[in-house]
Amino acid sequence: MNFPSWTLLGQSLLSGIFIGSLYGLLGLGLSLSWGMLRQINLAHFALAFLGAYLTFQLTSVGGMDPLLTLGLIAPAFFAFGVLMQWLFSRFSISPFNSLLVTFGLTVIIESLIQWIWTADYRKMDSVYGEMKFKIGSLYVPLPELLTLIIAVTLSLSTWALLRYTDLGKAMRAAAEDPQIAAAFGVNEKRLALLLSGLAATFAGVAGLCLALSYTLSPSQIYAWIGVVFAAVMIGGLGNPIGPLIAGIVIGVAEAMTMALISPAWAPLVSFSLLILVLLTRADKV
Amino acid sequence: MKLIKKLILSATGVLLGLGLQVAVAAPSGQPIKVGGTLALTGPLSATALIHKLAGEIYVEQLNKKNGLLGRPVEWILKDDQSKPDLARTLYEQLVTVDKVDLLLGPYATGNILSAVGVAQKYQKVLVHHTMGIPSLVKYDMQFPAWSVGYDPATTVTNTLLDALASTTKFPKTIAIVSSKFPSVYMMSVGMREAAKKRGIKEVLFLEWEFGNKDFGPIASRVKDANPDFIFVGAIGLEGNQLLDAMKKIDYVPPMQYFMYPAPGPLAKAPGAERAMAGSIFEQHPPFTNNPLAAEFVKIFNERATKAGLPDNAVETQAAASYSAWQVIEAAVTATKSLDDKVLAAWLKKNKVDTIQGKLRFDGPSNFGDDLLRVKQVQNGHWVVVWPKEWAAPGAKLLTQ
Amino acid sequence: MKLSAPAWIALVGLGLATVPFFGLPAFYESFLYLIFSAIVLATSWNILSGYSGYFSFGHGAFFGAGMYTTATLTSKFEIPFLWTLPAAGIIAALLGVGVGAVVFRLRRLRGELFALLTLAVTFVLATIVLNTPIDGGQGVPLTAVTLPAILSSPSSTLYVLGLAMALLTLWIAYSIYLAKLGTGLFAIHDDEDVAEVMGVPTYRYKLIAFGLSCALAGVAGGIHAMFISYVTVGETFSIIVPLNVVLMSVLGGTRHWLGPAVGATVITALLYGFTAGDYPVAGRAAVGLILIVVILFMPEGLLGRFIPRLEGRRRKTTAATPVAAAPAPDAVQASSETLLRINGLSKAFSGVQALDGADVEVRRGEILGLVGPNGSGKSTLINMISGHFRLDSGSIVFDGVDIAGLPAHRVAQAGIARTYQIPRPFAHLSVLQNVTLPAMFGRAALGRGAAESEARYWLEFTGLAEKADALPGELNLHQRKFLELARALASRPRLLLLDEVLSGLTPAEIDHAIATIRTIRDLGATIVFVEHVMHAVMELSDRIVVLNYGKVIAEGKPEEVMRRPEVVTVYLGKPHA
Repeated sequence: MNFPSWTLLGQSLLSGIFIGSLYGLLGLGLSLSWGMLRQINLAHFALAFLGAYLTFQLTSVGGMDPLLTLGLIAPAFFAFGVLMQWLFSRFSISPFNSLLVTFGLTVIIESLIQWIWTADYRKMDSVYGEMKFKIGSLYVPLPELLTLIIAVTLSLSTWALLRYTDLGKAMRAAAEDPQIAAAFGVNEKRLALLLSGLAATFAGVAGLCLALSYTLSPSQIYAWIGVVFAAVMIGGLGNPIGPLIAGIVIGVAEAMTMALISPAWAPLVSFSLLILVLLTRADKV
Repeated sequence: MKLIKKLILSATGVLLGLGLQVAVAAPSGQPIKVGGTLALTGPLSATALIHKLAGEIYVEQLNKKNGLLGRPVEWILKDDQSKPDLARTLYEQLVTVDKVDLLLGPYATGNILSAVGVAQKYQKVLVHHTMGIPSLVKYDMQFPAWSVGYDPATTVTNTLLDALASTTKFPKTIAIVSSKFPSVYMMSVGMREAAKKRGIKEVLFLEWEFGNKDFGPIASRVKDANPDFIFVGAIGLEGNQLLDAMKKIDYVPPMQYFMYPAPGPLAKAPGAERAMAGSIFEQHPPFTNNPLAAEFVKIFNERATKAGLPDNAVETQAAASYSAWQVIEAAVTATKSLDDKVLAAWLKKNKVDTIQGKLRFDGPSNFGDDLLRVKQVQNGHWVVVWPKEWAAPGAKLLTQ
Repeated sequence: MKLSAPAWIALVGLGLATVPFFGLPAFYESFLYLIFSAIVLATSWNILSGYSGYFSFGHGAFFGAGMYTTATLTSKFEIPFLWTLPAAGIIAALLGVGVGAVVFRLRRLRGELFALLTLAVTFVLATIVLNTPIDGGQGVPLTAVTLPAILSSPSSTLYVLGLAMALLTLWIAYSIYLAKLGTGLFAIHDDEDVAEVMGVPTYRYKLIAFGLSCALAGVAGGIHAMFISYVTVGETFSIIVPLNVVLMSVLGGTRHWLGPAVGATVITALLYGFTAGDYPVAGRAAVGLILIVVILFMPEGLLGRFIPRLEGRRRKTTAATPVAAAPAPDAVQASSETLLRINGLSKAFSGVQALDGADVEVRRGEILGLVGPNGSGKSTLINMISGHFRLDSGSIVFDGVDIAGLPAHRVAQAGIARTYQIPRPFAHLSVLQNVTLPAMFGRAALGRGAAESEARYWLEFTGLAEKADALPGELNLHQRKFLELARALASRPRLLLLDEVLSGLTPAEIDHAIATIRTIRDLGATIVFVEHVMHAVMELSDRIVVLNYGKVIAEGKPEEVMRRPEVVTVYLGKPHA
């Protein structure tokens, strides 16, 4: 085998970073609701794809700029997240039952997508689709770069929100110990609604990024679950930056395996990485 | 909003469809029941609607012109949810409970093998339309309507190389990249052999797990290898994703072939101009010189649009389904019988005229000729370019 | 006539075994096979995951391992189909035990981490199978493999095998449910650390449950490979398999041996009910909706909803069993003979020295008070003796045997029992079951019947007899403290470690407790008790040991020790010179 060129390595590295940032973006909302609301929200993936299809519809058919569609999608998804949390707390659902309820929801959303858009493949045409620029011999496609920027921005601002604002501190307190937080006057239920709304909004944003770069089909909902779960777990539940970092680590590890060894072995690398982290990490998640 | 309009449209579409089924009943007597499943939901459902529409159109037309043997035809269609185990049970139900007269195959290799098993158990004729790996079927009363020959790994790849040889730029180097999805992986392995025999140097062979999402590194490796020709053994959206990934690094290979892409989106994708793929039917002459084909194309285009399919053209999938029905009709009409043994015997001895060409079933495992042609994206549309007798008028394989 | 569950299983099984002779359309066999297969998968999953709470998301891996074992052996090595089934079970079990042997050692890998780890194992296995000659990418066809005839014809073989496996799995699940293994697993579900300290060999139990669970799934996989006749990686190792399995079990109810079978039947039938070709997408959405509604309104599952108190009722009918005579612990009077000797015990937690070369001696039949300010190492010492933590250095000799480094359940079986400062009852077990468990697993090592009478005796003793059928959540703090005590006593310990049994009680309750402890000592037990309530310490202790910063600073008769200046300093601060 010839030694791979630096361009190949650089380009693969970029590719890994880009897809890793999408793992992270998909994982962000999942990690928040998992870590702070104790919900394993499978429907997060279905929501992201619903968001992607809506972006596709508004852009390809409605002629909107894809980024502007967020103006419609974000509030709608926020409302959906709030509604979902209301339902969850109304029925006080246990973590594992949340997995099942959201699986049911996933199936419903998948069916809805298939009913409206059929199961045939959809690819959004947008002004950003083909834009790219070059740094040296490396290409940086704009949709992927946008995904990276969005993922970094959202992760960092969520982190800042949780760390520096009173609202965020209250959220963390409520997640840590709801009773004590309540004793200090934190309205834990309201915060949970807000958090769930936020997580669903993040799903919508991730959907936009999916639509920008990927060909859509309803069954793709399930294709992302494994690797994004891995990113969330490695990154740490409830940690807003963890999934992004872990996602990028996984993305780059896979991309390098593809570039240097064989693409077919890539999943082995990411999931072995997960197993290794789970087995060796000293601190608790 | 457009979306709401679409919702209303599809809802009325469903209602209209119901109305039509009730209205048409020219033939008389007990209906002839044709049973089959499709992957209407689940991971294989991308093409299910195409097969469903094609079948519905066929049955409708058949009943308009007096059905089969003067009896109306009823299609008992079930959803196997993309699961082979469910497919097997559903076919058992079709045969032993619904007591269908004839069987039509499901979609995709695994499910077809399940159906073949049941057909064999009850000695029923099974006509199927999307069997990707012919060597897996051993039963002598199954008939493939998607005619790719018994050994497509050899014939399909050689057809392709013949097509390339017709140009002035026969490739000297080849990159083969493949999904490890059984039916396409088999083709990629065949391509390696075929290329070697013709003295084409293999500069890259890559394989990925079906469901791979990051095609960036694969695209970069292809670019690095810089082949004259790239053979993409991919199924569904994988091919499209690889094309996207190559385009993103400004790489368009001199010649590229996609095994089973999602044809609609691929033709529209940037960078797809002059990309090749396999096909048994495209909606242009000489295919549409057949009046049956022309009529089917017309109705299918309308229905597909109404059903909300992104691409309403008739191509491989729809044509394979339609051909399967043609095979059934031909055998029943010629033998005036519904007896499985009689039908099978007739099919083995006779050729059936279908919209993809003449099918014969006298080869190994009842596979006949390989009718998979080479098509190419030209000006944003698919046109068949090889072999010459099936090429669109004036069309030929273009190189960069 | 009332039939026992195994009789029912056998009866239903016999009935179903005659189906192939009825001449029914073969479809029914095929459909029932799908249900049997689902029952095996869901029930086998439940043996580990439902009973012990270790939710596995890797059941697809073990099912798949079985499929590929049979596929490989039949198609590549031409081994007769039936012979490959034991191999399928063994390979899957080995894989499971291999994973478990590593994972179950790590305390933090519980809950969702375990779920995710097993899911990762699935994907790793899938990649390996895909990229090696096991599959290689082309799938493995079994169309040429001959199916032997069992009962009537080859076509009924898979039905019969599926039925046999379903019955076997149900029988195993039922047996475990009633056996010591099941009791141990349910305890692990509620509180694994406490289960271990009460004598449950948690590691071994988890491994056995996992191994059995995987073996059954593996055999089911072997049969299923034949059923679908073409095995591919994409289908076999998809995430949908574990999702469905979890779904079936939870829907049916994971705390009952029959729950997963009910869930499997319902879901399989439901999915099959929506296979009509007219509105498949709406049908799929309906399945999703039904799922949501069921989980919302029956969070404990169908069986959890409809027969929640079945166990309770049965228990009440047996409540009349006579209470055993006082099962006195070793009746030995206080002596100068050493029962437990601790030498130079040290333990640090991430740099903080909790114990620093502590030497303690406990004499047979005495009450030893362990006192010292907060953070002085008292609770750590209790945790070290009971085997919860490993020691850094030193030795713990109990009755002449070095127990340092032994797993906690061995320590318990040797005759050391403890209580927790904050009571840690098994939340889903009744008060009676809570006390029965240590009698079965601790030093007493009684059979279930004897353990139950033993438990009733100690419930009576601690004044909890009335509450025998209640769940611990229904008790007040005082009662929960006494439940802790009853659990410790029921194991017939030779050494009883009491960790602040008095804290949080009212003065009247404290007096009651002191009287009770004294009675226990009069029965002959040796007691080490950690306490902050000083008057109780002074009243009860034969000797006391004072700890500070992990070191023993004084020991001797209570009145004498508490007068020593260094002890006074520790308790009241340094006197200003």
